[in-house]
Amino acid sequence: MTGIPLVSIMVGAPFAAAVLLLMVPDRVRLLVRLVAFAGAATALAASIAVATGYDLEAGGVQLVENYPLVPSIGVSLRLGVDGWAVSLVLLTGIIIVTGVLASWTLENRAKEFFVFLLTLVAGVFGVFVSQDLFIFFLFYEIAVLPMYLLIGIWGSSHKITEAGPFRFVWKLFDIGGREYAAMKLTLMLLIGSAFILVVILAMYVAAGSQSFDFAVLGRTQYSRGMQLWAFPLLWLGFGSLGGVFPFHTWSPDGHASAPTAVSMLHAGVLMKLGAFGVLRIGVMMMPQGALAWAPLVGTIAVVNIVYGALSAMSQSDLKYIVAYSSVSHMGVVMLGIATLTPEGWNGAVYQMFAHGIMTGLFFALVGLVYERAHTRAVPKMGGFARAMPGAAVFFTIAALSSLGLPGTAGFVAEFLVFVGAWQSAHPWWVVPGLLGAFITAVYVLRAARAIFWGPGPSEEFHLTDARRTEWGALVALGSALILFGCWPALVLDFIDRTTPAYLGSVLASYSPPRHTPPRLVSSIAPSLRP
Amino acid sequence: MELASLGNPVDSALVALLVPLGAALCIAILSPLRRRGKLAGWLSVLAALVALAASSLLLFRWQGGLGPELFELRWLPRAGGTLARVGVRVDGISVVMLTVVTLVATCVQVFSLGYMSGEPGPALGRYFAYHSLFIFSMSLLVLAPNLLVFLIGWELVGLTSYLLIGFYYQKPSAARAAVKAFWTTKFADMGLFAAVVLLFAWTGDFSWEVPLSPQQASLITLLLFLAVMGKSAQFPLHVWLPDAMEGPTPVSALLHAATMVAAGVYLIVRTGPLFSQAPDTLTLMAYLGSFTALFAAVIAVVQTDIKRVLAYSTCSQLGYMVAGLGAGSVMSGFFHLTTHAAFKALLFLAAGSVIHAVGSNELGDMGGLARRMRLTTTVFVIGALALAGVPLFAGFFSKDFILETVFNQKLWLPLGALLLSGFLTAFYMGRVIALAFFGTPSSKAEHAHESGPTMALPLIALAFLSVAVGWLGPRMAEMIQADYAFHLTPVGAAATLLALGGLFFAWLVYARRAVPSSVLAWFAPIGEVARSGALDRLYGFAFRRVVLGVAALAGWFDRYIVDGLMNFIAWLAIVTGQRLRRIQTGNVLDYVYAVVAGAALLIAWGMVR
Repeated sequence: MTGIPLVSIMVGAPFAAAVLLLMVPDRVRLLVRLVAFAGAATALAASIAVATGYDLEAGGVQLVENYPLVPSIGVSLRLGVDGWAVSLVLLTGIIIVTGVLASWTLENRAKEFFVFLLTLVAGVFGVFVSQDLFIFFLFYEIAVLPMYLLIGIWGSSHKITEAGPFRFVWKLFDIGGREYAAMKLTLMLLIGSAFILVVILAMYVAAGSQSFDFAVLGRTQYSRGMQLWAFPLLWLGFGSLGGVFPFHTWSPDGHASAPTAVSMLHAGVLMKLGAFGVLRIGVMMMPQGALAWAPLVGTIAVVNIVYGALSAMSQSDLKYIVAYSSVSHMGVVMLGIATLTPEGWNGAVYQMFAHGIMTGLFFALVGLVYERAHTRAVPKMGGFARAMPGAAVFFTIAALSSLGLPGTAGFVAEFLVFVGAWQSAHPWWVVPGLLGAFITAVYVLRAARAIFWGPGPSEEFHLTDARRTEWGALVALGSALILFGCWPALVLDFIDRTTPAYLGSVLASYSPPRHTPPRLVSSIAPSLRP
Repeated sequence: MELASLGNPVDSALVALLVPLGAALCIAILSPLRRRGKLAGWLSVLAALVALAASSLLLFRWQGGLGPELFELRWLPRAGGTLARVGVRVDGISVVMLTVVTLVATCVQVFSLGYMSGEPGPALGRYFAYHSLFIFSMSLLVLAPNLLVFLIGWELVGLTSYLLIGFYYQKPSAARAAVKAFWTTKFADMGLFAAVVLLFAWTGDFSWEVPLSPQQASLITLLLFLAVMGKSAQFPLHVWLPDAMEGPTPVSALLHAATMVAAGVYLIVRTGPLFSQAPDTLTLMAYLGSFTALFAAVIAVVQTDIKRVLAYSTCSQLGYMVAGLGAGSVMSGFFHLTTHAAFKALLFLAAGSVIHAVGSNELGDMGGLARRMRLTTTVFVIGALALAGVPLFAGFFSKDFILETVFNQKLWLPLGALLLSGFLTAFYMGRVIALAFFGTPSSKAEHAHESGPTMALPLIALAFLSVAVGWLGPRMAEMIQADYAFHLTPVGAAATLLALGGLFFAWLVYARRAVPSSVLAWFAPIGEVARSGALDRLYGFAFRRVVLGVAALAGWFDRYIVDGLMNFIAWLAIVTGQRLRRIQTGNVLDYVYAVVAGAALLIAWGMVR
């Protein structure tokens, strides 16, 4: 073990860059960008170092660092990574670097923008590596709160038609406005946080009020009664960030209003915090509660998959299409969690990874198209492939991963989740899951055709293809999708190193699914009928 | 000679698999290469030739009776172990299919060099990148050692099909056709996906050589057959194939006639050990396949676009293959797959040569081409005779074997349908020949002439194969370890007579115009129905009204009910706050009244207790 505190560097680098940025004059825009990029790149490098430094043979939580913070109540800055965290910090590193690249040309208050963005990312890294529940929650809030300012200041507004039984709310709220979107997102997530906080305090007390250490809290046997009420609170609390139906409605408005890099980070990694929280805290700390509630969790997850996909199909605003597709794909993550099978869990974490990159690519492209065409209305577009072939290629790659085409990371994740779902107690989950995958194919290719194919583009758009830094973002994300689709073991080995032990602790009576080696019938069948 | 002396068969298979992938990646990544389309084309052809050489090596050196050679790599981990592997499997079946694929692909690519030469450089580069990617994907499917790898290849060929149909992406009809093809096949692919998941859940592996309970076998094979119906364009999921003709003609020849659409048939051949456990599925296949054969043949008769005639003919012939497999003979379906690959690729390329010369797909714009395009006419007639099942040509032997198998299984209804569609096949091919190559030329056809050697050579090669492959049946049967021998049976004789009769009748109607129009009028209603595209309209209606309707409902529900409820809660909080605010009047007397009232209430409460 080297003496370099890799994990702290990873969490600290974006934060340090944010602090440094405060001292950089706003006018020197290149310096602002370079400092932001340096912070992001250091974090990515550190996350790669963490991955290479993680000993796959040994497994477990590694690279542990422990700095006592408030010893009197047992709070310490305890950081460390397990296999899941390795994959998710890699994702975060990739997304923040490409996110900075994609917002390179941002003009309006660039310094403050990057300060908030980097603070947010530091929080995200912190959540994934926390081994102390107090710190975990602290980082969780650090990751969520800057979003309010990022959307409220740099976001965009759009018009939502006044209709429906609740049309009177339009009098009070500017629905579709960026302040509205920012406020809705923050409030819904904070209410979720309140649920989580209640359970955290209950756990702390039940564990003897000595420590917030994951290991201590994980060892504690909580009463079944407590688990039965605590798990749903954690599920909904974290789930509201993970896009769980019906608490997902902040996400389409939030993503649609957010600027490019924020959408990338938010859909790419922030929503994963929610799912990660459900899995790491909810399911693992409250195993009996999770077992009892799993049928509902999985059922809501398949609702997410199908409902999100159908809603995406009905949208004509490109950002809303991608945003709803996130709602649908996060359903796959939640479904994987609810299966309580090794394949399902591997698939859930892998889907977090795959969807993060895929949706990052999507939002980068949406920003790119919007910046040139000045519209996000898909029906107004058409034939863009001729003017921006690069964007068309990468949009197609993202679309293919989204619909789960083999060779892209999305396939591996969906395949694992559906294998897990069939082996779970509720095999019927596979049917709506597959249906959702098909609906995804319908709406993403429909969008790809409407934007990039057909005659055009019209002269009014002045389209140009991606520029230098944008190319960097697109190529990095697109090739990652293909690389991790063709060679999933690169990341999946880390995930799989952690899953069995964690799942085993949840299922006290864990036994692997039937694995009888198949007998060969005959090497080939010369005749099908006797 | 020993196999070992020529290298490991697995090595050859890997060469055939990976060299086209390398070519595709080079063209895709190196943009100078891509922009110079011709160079990309030659690189792609070179890769196809290497793949062909590797697979020919396997074909000629592969001794029947050797067990399958496997090469597998760990792909997905599971609890520290292995969930899935990828790799190649070299055995008789995969070697035969690999040779078919690489051979036809090479011919088509060489033909494309001439046919597509008018395209701008970058477009040409894109075209050949897709082509090389297709060869890789198809080889991956063909060489799959397990059903998961098969699924990967299967979906990737679907992708290349989508990309190549949409090659002229600025044309709205091409864009629509590409997406329609992808959706239709993707819908069916869910069957394969589900089958893979079920197979793993039940056996813990992805091998098709496993014993299953009858119910399990039925379910899995039905799901597999759903995928086959999509990919191999069986009724009622055939609707994408005629539209797929929007792609360049060489693409139609390679993907949508010879190889990719035959992947469904290959799936049944490959997973024979599963299908042999499910007699009910086989019976369904025999009926549905023969119905598709007849149904598509009827529609082919009334098409006026030469490529659409051939497309429906492909549906029909795939129906033959499925029926043959349903009758229980792997050899019959697989044999017809190989012969069909040769003559249908030939027909499409010859049609491409005609389209290139005339500048139109419509039969009405052709006519009298026999004198102007001798080579094309000759090879087209050879292909047509092979397709019609005229003795000595390739299609005769394979079709005869299918009919014999169906007859032996006493599947009378399918047999009748197949015989009738045999007559129709000869009739519609006779019609195309009469309309395109004989009669009076239209204005467009007057200046038609043959194209260069890159287009002529593949035609000659495929014309040779359209005769020769038919005689290779015994050798092929030996390779896949099946029984095959040619018998002259009454069914075969009847089929031959029907084929000749169909050709003769077409000659009477379209060349001699000897049949009175009153007789032809009897068939007018059938023609009306066949032309109507009722199924297409039904699907279109279902998509626009039902699917998009439900989606719009979901979108509305989410915006105005679910989100509306969230907004309502926030509204409630604000409104409640505004109401409660009024309590704070700032008037001291009000507060005193409140204190007094509160005290009174407390006292009253204490007294009651």
